[in-house]
Amino acid sequence: MSLLYPLVVAALLFAIGVYGVLARRNAVLVLMGVELMLNAVNLNLVAFDAYLRDVVHSGQVLTLFVIAIAAAEIGLGLAIVLMVFRSHRHIDVDRMRELSDTDAADAAMARDARVGAAPGGGER
Amino acid sequence: MGWLLPVLVATPAAGALLLALWPRADADRVGPLVGVVVSAAAALVSVVAAVVAWGREGMRLESEAAWIPSLDVWWRAGVDGISLPLVLLTTLLTLLCMVALLRGEGPGLGSERSLVALLLLLETGVIGTFVALDLVLFFVFFEIVLVPMWFVIAIWGDPKDPAGRRRAATTFLLLTVIGSALMLVGFLLVHTYAGSFDMLELAANGGLGMSTQVQLLAAVAIGLGFAVKAPMWPLHIWLPDAHAKAPTVGSVLLAGVLLKMGTYGFVRIWVPIVPEGARALAPYLACLAAVGIVYGSLACLAQTDLKRLVAYSSVGHMGFVLLGIATLTPVGLNGALVANIAHGLITGLLFFLAGALKDRHGSAELATIGRGLYARSPRLAAILAVAAIASLGLPGLAGFWGEMLTLLGAFDPAAGLPRGVFLACMVAGGVGAVVTAAYFVHVVRRVCQGEPSELDLAEERPQAEASTRELATWSPLVGLTVLLGLAPGLLLAVTDPAVQVLLGAGS
Amino acid sequence: MSPAWVVALPALGAVVVLAMGSRATVGWVGAGFGLLAWLSGLVVAVPALGDTGSQRYLLGSFPTGAMSIEVALAVDGLAAVMVLLATTVALLVLLYSVGYLSGERRRASYTALVLVFTSAMSLVVLADDFFVLLVGWEVMGACSYFLIGHYWERVEARAGAVKAFLLTRLGDIGLLFGIFVLGAAVGSFSISGANEAAAAGQLSTSQATAAMLLVLCGVVGKSAQFPLHTWLPDAMPGPTPISALIHAATMVAAGVYLVARLDDVMAASPAARTVLAVIAAVTMLLAALFAVAQDDLKRVLAWSTVSQLAYMFAALAVGAYAAGVFHLLSHGAFKALLFLGAGAIVHAVGGTSMGPMGGLRRRLPLTFVTMTIGFAALVGLVPAVGFFSKDAVLGGVMDAALHDGSWQAWMLLTSGLLTVVVTAAYSTRAWLLVFFGRSRGAEVLETEPWTMRAPVVVLAGLSLVGGALVLTPEVVDPLGRSEGSLVHPTLAAASTLLVLLTVLVTYSEWWRVEGVDPAARFGPVRRRLFAELGVDRLYQITVTGPTWSLAHLVVATDRDIVEPYVRGASASAQGLGLALRQLQRGNVQVYVTAVVVGALALGLTAGWLS
Repeated sequence: MSLLYPLVVAALLFAIGVYGVLARRNAVLVLMGVELMLNAVNLNLVAFDAYLRDVVHSGQVLTLFVIAIAAAEIGLGLAIVLMVFRSHRHIDVDRMRELSDTDAADAAMARDARVGAAPGGGER
Repeated sequence: MGWLLPVLVATPAAGALLLALWPRADADRVGPLVGVVVSAAAALVSVVAAVVAWGREGMRLESEAAWIPSLDVWWRAGVDGISLPLVLLTTLLTLLCMVALLRGEGPGLGSERSLVALLLLLETGVIGTFVALDLVLFFVFFEIVLVPMWFVIAIWGDPKDPAGRRRAATTFLLLTVIGSALMLVGFLLVHTYAGSFDMLELAANGGLGMSTQVQLLAAVAIGLGFAVKAPMWPLHIWLPDAHAKAPTVGSVLLAGVLLKMGTYGFVRIWVPIVPEGARALAPYLACLAAVGIVYGSLACLAQTDLKRLVAYSSVGHMGFVLLGIATLTPVGLNGALVANIAHGLITGLLFFLAGALKDRHGSAELATIGRGLYARSPRLAAILAVAAIASLGLPGLAGFWGEMLTLLGAFDPAAGLPRGVFLACMVAGGVGAVVTAAYFVHVVRRVCQGEPSELDLAEERPQAEASTRELATWSPLVGLTVLLGLAPGLLLAVTDPAVQVLLGAGS
Repeated sequence: MSPAWVVALPALGAVVVLAMGSRATVGWVGAGFGLLAWLSGLVVAVPALGDTGSQRYLLGSFPTGAMSIEVALAVDGLAAVMVLLATTVALLVLLYSVGYLSGERRRASYTALVLVFTSAMSLVVLADDFFVLLVGWEVMGACSYFLIGHYWERVEARAGAVKAFLLTRLGDIGLLFGIFVLGAAVGSFSISGANEAAAAGQLSTSQATAAMLLVLCGVVGKSAQFPLHTWLPDAMPGPTPISALIHAATMVAAGVYLVARLDDVMAASPAARTVLAVIAAVTMLLAALFAVAQDDLKRVLAWSTVSQLAYMFAALAVGAYAAGVFHLLSHGAFKALLFLGAGAIVHAVGGTSMGPMGGLRRRLPLTFVTMTIGFAALVGLVPAVGFFSKDAVLGGVMDAALHDGSWQAWMLLTSGLLTVVVTAAYSTRAWLLVFFGRSRGAEVLETEPWTMRAPVVVLAGLSLVGGALVLTPEVVDPLGRSEGSLVHPTLAAASTLLVLLTVLVTYSEWWRVEGVDPAARFGPVRRRLFAELGVDRLYQITVTGPTWSLAHLVVATDRDIVEPYVRGASASAQGLGLALRQLQRGNVQVYVTAVVVGALALGLTAGWLS
């Protein structure tokens, strides 16, 4: 069969994976989206390997690498999700905003500004 | 003798390092002493340099070494008639500041050792600026002074107003840094088109390789950087706060030396290296300078704080310097250089006096200082009166010659410059001189004369009169003011040849 | 002997006196240095009297970038008489001050300042370079400022010192600009060079006019002529010897000296001569009228000085050079005499107001005799020197009027004759109010010591014999700039008649009701004159007031306009930061989306560009 079919499938898989990563609220589903993206890449690699008839089969070798790394990554990822669940009792990505730079920083800045703008002696 | 200038620049830095490493136990006691010793050594080296280089043609005591060859940045240093008096002024004022610190700066703000070390760093930066002959090296030294000055003002400044002194220091730092950033852009522009950072080479080429547009752009950028430092109206706004909040030694060095870096930069870099740009911008500089003269003098009339008053008077005096530079003639530049030195001496003295009064009364407000100082502390009041008379430019004292030569330069500016504009600026300068006279005699009348009130006499601290140490600190300044007033030839004999070379080289 | 000694000796004396501090002998040391200065002045000046040439002494020079400034002194006939005037009066005043200030505290600074002043005045008259002259000129102004403020506990002294300094400084800026114009036109800053160039016709009329008009600004300020005349009477709260030295004989005469020195340049500019003539005509009459209405003895003498200076300017404005210089010298002598006499009165009575004075001729006989001589000279009665010098001035003006027929000369003649009348009036009035009639309350506390008597006697003697100068006109006019003689018998007789008439009228007014102030006859006009026609108020409204308002405006501008820009810069930077921080939502998916979109955009752009 032509190269087109695996590529299209890989593209579709990748798109679904991107959707999963960017738009799903559940952290596990985000990780599943990541897996989908990785597998789409694998599909792509194997398809090109077959098409180009590479002597050293670099595509298939790289696919094995990716599978191994994906496995390791998903292990770590799920471990982190588990830790998050234990501390927050939820794994809603939208609600995890501890790294945001609002509120606390704003209050500190407003405090500084008030101190700095205080009339410093009435010489004028 | 090329090693002399690197030694001169390194001595205060070495002193600062020494103080930083000194064991903590008696560092505060020993700090001022080390400061005096180190600054005296630096002064000695500068005197030696002066003796060797005085009156000789061209750049002397040159030293050169590759620093960052890949960026075309070299260590190049040298002194000539323009920078030598400024170097001497710097070492003298720093030495006097150190002597003034010997009696203790104030109620234990920060540590003495740190203050002395910072002042020594300041001295390094300033001397480096005056002797540097490479644009990037100049920029580096120019920037070195900023952070120590921030600390000096923010930590050892006005003890009664922590927020105010921090704000004053930050305003000073930020405005100067923005100016310097623009200045650096200008330098890079120059390097891109003219191919070198070497000031002497660029001055000799006189803008070769740079079209008029480029020169104009570079002149604007570089000029703004120096204008913030000088300061030029309307970029002067950092000055009154910084001076008013700084400690005595900080104000003396800020007014006496740091302001000169800006005007020195104008003379050394702006005039010879981007001559077309300078020529195009000179009328604007002259107008802004004239505005600064009148504005500064008028602002002084309405001041009630002595240090702010002297700060605004600095704006006026530097206006004269900038006017002299804007004329682009030997007379004007000579006037600017002489006015620089005179201002350093006289305003340094005025800040010492204002600081002495502030220490005695807790505030520099005229109302707090009271009246009748002639009766309460005659010597202090007499020196204050002399300093006031000198600062208003009385002939026979140092301040006059700079102002006069500046106005003479404005009377007959360089060919190609609009004479009418400059004549108007000259008249404005004259008006400013009269207003300056008005506020200084007003201050003398308000503070020195009059009957001391019951409150003033009752509150008299035991040491109201000037102490021996204070008199020892102030008398070199008074003496030099009188000497340069009666014999300005001492200074002009060394600046005039250098100015002639500077203006002749580029054409 | 180099004339630099005349300048250096008093300056040296000042240093010595300051080092001595407030010891009792400091006044005598000062007088000693005054004597040294006088002797050196004799040595330098006497050989040069009537000299047609001038001896130039170059002490050094320094470059400016354009024309160099030479520190040069020149001794010629004019300088010689001026040096003699300055050093003589200074010596007499220093001697007088020993007695006048005995027992006071601040004698060291006073004596030192007088010595510095003497040095500066000598520098002015000996200078051959404009900037050397300017240095002396302004140092004199500074000394005057400090000395007027000698009794700084009193508010009139403080105010008077400030006013004197600022008004003269205003004029001096004009002088500075005039020096620029002259220097540029002539090519050097040498005074003799300027005169030579003008005499040789190298100065165009416009250059000469511009230069002289600017120089006249400084002259008008220094010599207290209209419109900068208001400071001189307010300078009277200073010690009376100072009023004699500075504000009568020397400093205010420096303006006259400068005009005389630059006579060649003045001759090249008819417009400047006209301006000077108008100023002189207005001032002489105005000041005399003010003098009639004053209650304070020293203020009368001050306005009298202003009026007499205008006489000198009148002579110089019509080209009667010899008369102008002659009157300068004679006025120096008799006005110093009058002031020192007034000082004796002040010393004895304790105040300067004429109201409580009266009948002092019996209590202070020597003062009475000497001041009568002084008033006689002021009014212009034979044989006092004032008679001869005033006659010379009026005669010179009349000669010019008859010879040229110029309206300036006629105006000056009219004004001069009217002023003679008014001068006689105020002099007689003062003389009567102080010395005659019943004592009105002032107590004579003590009579004067010999140190105060001797100078007055010397000056009185000079005032009597000084008239002999008419016999040697080459002393005052070596180069023969003015034509005509110094003696005009008919005019002299006519003016003497006028004077005697006025004296009679004033006396009769005074005698009508014993002890009444003759000036009361003027009625409401007198009040106006007393307020000096409100010129001070005018200055307050047009100059001083607006300047203060402008000053407050400037401070407000800095506070409200410039600073908010700076604060605004920092505020806008913070605002931008706040806006950008909105990107940091903390939501990882937002970040990743941004990365993806960005990468896509970059890729598309790269593809489209290539």
